Amino acid sequence: MSTLNLLVAVCTAYVFFLFFVAFAADRLALQGKKAWLRSPLIYTLSLSIYCTAWTFYGAVGSAARNGFEYLTIYLGPTIVMVSWWWLLRKLIRIGRTQKITSIADLISSRYGKSSLLAAGVTILAVIGTTPYIALQLQSVTLSFSVFAAQSDGLAAQDQARVALWLSLGLAVFTVLFGTRNLDAKERHDGVVMAIAVEAVVKLVALLSVGIFVVWGVSGGLTEALNRIDASEFGEWHTDRSRWAGLIFLSAAAFLCLPRTFQVLVVENDDESHLRTASWAFPLYLCLISLFVVPIAVVGLDIMPDGSNPDLFVLTIPLALGENGLAMLSFLGGFSSATSMVIVAAIALSTMVSNHIVMPIWLQLRPSGASVSGDVRAAVLMARRISIVGVVMLGYLYFRLSSGGEALASIGLVAFCGLAQVLPAMLGGMFWRGATRMGAFAGLTAGFAIWLYTLYLPSFGVGTILPVAIIDNGLFGLAWLKPDALFGIEGMDQLMHALLWSMLFNVVAFVGVSLVTFPSPLERLQAAQFVNIFEHSTNARSWSGGTAQTEDLMVMAQRILGAGEAQALFLRHARRQGARGNLPAPTPDFLEALERELGSSVGAATAHAMVGQITGGMAISVEDLMAVADETAQMLEYSARLKEQSEELSRTALELRNANQKLTRLSIQKDAFLSQISHELRTPMTSIRAFSEILRDTDQMTPNDQSRYASIIHDEAQRLTRLLDDLLDLSVVENGQVNLNLREGSLRDALDRAVSAAAIGEDGVQMAIERDMGREYIVLHTDLDRLSQVFINLIANARKYCDAQTPRLVIRVMQETDRVVIDFHDNGSGIAPDAVDMIFEKFARVSDQKAGGAGLGLAICRQVMTRLGGSVDYVPSSRGATFRVVLPYRIALAAQ
Amino acid sequence: MKRETDRPGSPTVFHERRTYRRRRVMDAARVAPILALILWSVPLIWPQTGDGTVSSATALIYIFAVWGGVILLTWGLSRLLADEVDEPPDTET
Repeated sequence: MSTLNLLVAVCTAYVFFLFFVAFAADRLALQGKKAWLRSPLIYTLSLSIYCTAWTFYGAVGSAARNGFEYLTIYLGPTIVMVSWWWLLRKLIRIGRTQKITSIADLISSRYGKSSLLAAGVTILAVIGTTPYIALQLQSVTLSFSVFAAQSDGLAAQDQARVALWLSLGLAVFTVLFGTRNLDAKERHDGVVMAIAVEAVVKLVALLSVGIFVVWGVSGGLTEALNRIDASEFGEWHTDRSRWAGLIFLSAAAFLCLPRTFQVLVVENDDESHLRTASWAFPLYLCLISLFVVPIAVVGLDIMPDGSNPDLFVLTIPLALGENGLAMLSFLGGFSSATSMVIVAAIALSTMVSNHIVMPIWLQLRPSGASVSGDVRAAVLMARRISIVGVVMLGYLYFRLSSGGEALASIGLVAFCGLAQVLPAMLGGMFWRGATRMGAFAGLTAGFAIWLYTLYLPSFGVGTILPVAIIDNGLFGLAWLKPDALFGIEGMDQLMHALLWSMLFNVVAFVGVSLVTFPSPLERLQAAQFVNIFEHSTNARSWSGGTAQTEDLMVMAQRILGAGEAQALFLRHARRQGARGNLPAPTPDFLEALERELGSSVGAATAHAMVGQITGGMAISVEDLMAVADETAQMLEYSARLKEQSEELSRTALELRNANQKLTRLSIQKDAFLSQISHELRTPMTSIRAFSEILRDTDQMTPNDQSRYASIIHDEAQRLTRLLDDLLDLSVVENGQVNLNLREGSLRDALDRAVSAAAIGEDGVQMAIERDMGREYIVLHTDLDRLSQVFINLIANARKYCDAQTPRLVIRVMQETDRVVIDFHDNGSGIAPDAVDMIFEKFARVSDQKAGGAGLGLAICRQVMTRLGGSVDYVPSSRGATFRVVLPYRIALAAQ
Repeated sequence: MKRETDRPGSPTVFHERRTYRRRRVMDAARVAPILALILWSVPLIWPQTGDGTVSSATALIYIFAVWGGVILLTWGLSRLLADEVDEPPDTET
């Protein structure tokens, strides 16, 4: 049996073994024996999907060409794993809570379930992953040809056939074990188990070759190290920018590659597994890369010049006649390649079917998800076709690129492309202000620059990008040369592309996020993602509740399968306490249902499907406005209540004021009565006393008689005057007075008043100054009453003015709407504390000059009020000023 | 990060110290990747030519020694943080 035939036999046996492992794992999972299947160890080993054939073979090749640079590819993921506490734990919690099915789903879900973003990331992933799959096919065919070279060689035609059979086999495996069930939450136990086994094979193979090389060939560790120092490696010569840049790039890729995201987040069964993986996976990476340099050094030493260093892992054992070891090594490489293709195909098919095929399919069915068609079958079919499509795309790429050197460099090119998702991803996890437009702008900018500066040139000069563009730049602009943007020449092409694409990506992402405003759903999701540890419940609430549960049931059965859907509905019905088997379409239930569906078909699609049935699209602005309306109504109602209560308290206050006023009036009345009785009693007492004297005294001189009689007369007069005043006041106050309105001039009224009041009883004439010319104003008013007011004021001035030569100035001022008459004397005025009182009844400024009852000014005020004017005391620097104001209205009416 | 408030009635001194320790372990878990990054950035300052260039064997030993240290550190931290992470009680610890 030739080596090649043996190889094919071993290969087939190995594949059957993998089938068996996957099948057995699936069976065990069905029986519920998941404990061992889902151990932290299996999770850690499944992460090794990161190490593909490119790393298995390529690491040695890279070490032989570029020295230690290959290490960066493992250092990045190690740092990411060490960051498990603040980074991966959050990512996985988000993935589990939000039922994330892929990296595209994560981005879409975070940014308001944007279908556009999901499709964009999916396309990016497909573009970035297809060459990578081609790379795996190439590595397997290359390793085949190495064995074939031992016998009769492998024609190019046969190489292509190997690749074709391999891709077909992988597609079948992936379809079989990758689409057994739809719910991504149940995960692909068989696939994960197979990958874990392959991870062990990879590691054992590489370690075996390494141990063989170090102890078998070099003769011990010290000798191996000496050999390294003596070799071309010699000293540390690693490009610094590449060292730093590649660590970043591999870290980013570890997070963003669809296949690593699949095993890291989607297939994660238990967050605590991460705890083990945090140190175990770095250990795995460390062991994988441990013997790479010794192998490369020995290979460079013993292999003939011109042999491909990428295949040293295989060719060294073969050259040294260790066929068994070579076979193991081949299986290691085979494992790396197959596991990568399988998981990449699963991850990509999930993305393609959920974010490209299903949305289009739903769009093409105007009848909606619930009416016709078996969605479950459609989703599964879409996924199977996607798997075959993705693998075949890889095969096609392999054939077209004819597996040259160009393919070998595609690994890092793909890393760089997928790293463009990193800003949107991390931004979405840690920054609430990141918006969909920002993510879209960042992705677009980064993707475009990556495409132009790295991806398209990677096909070789003149393949896709014309030579003219590479030499002279786009549109002939030198600063747009794909390898020297903005005129910065001499950079490593990969670092150049990484720098500019990430720079523009981040700037566009942050800048656009800062200036755009997220939709309500986006903001809810942002809060959910960023504060995932604070609230792990789902905030995407459904409003309305018009959904028909039967319709939802029909749809859920199609996607989840009858048994599971019924179990789900029953569970929620029990939880709601419903009598039947169907729960009410409460927002809680709809949310849970959407999550379940989302884990099968992706969040955006599930959202759209439930939306089609419920008739509402999540929380729309309208919903929020409805909520706001309700709130507004509540506010209005409470405002009205508040108003009413304010009115009540106002009324109460008014009542209280009225009551106080009444009480005050009552007190005033009492005071008035006591005052009036006092005022009446004083003259009455003297009248009685003197009249008694007159009656009882016999011998009385006529002189005395007349004196006493005149006292009695005076007092009686005073009494009469008082009573007149009182009557007058009460008449005026009660509004019972009849105004005798007639026309007359103000001068006449003043003349009369002056002649009546200017000369007092003591005969002292008061000097009065008047400006006759200004006094000629015709009034239509009660002139008698007006004169009474003037008399009162003049008399008061005469009585109370304490100047040596009392003078009174009467000044008349005609204003636009009123006539103002000031009575200003040159006395000392009225004491400030007495000003308040002078218009009150019985108020007298001083007792010694008590001429009247103190009712004069009170009457004046009442009269003026009746006439529509006023009389006030105007404080002035010297003398007292009383101001009478007559509204011009009345004066006008007179003219 | 602030410590949890004292719960009256509980053995506060012990409780405080434990909580405090756990917070510091979390801090350590946060800075561990930075430490790894810094240590692996050291080769950036190694001279590329002339005197003092680092031999490949030394470089290899340095990088893998850091690697081993990082793995041990992460292992230790992950054990200390077991209570914080495990949703269902972990059978391992």
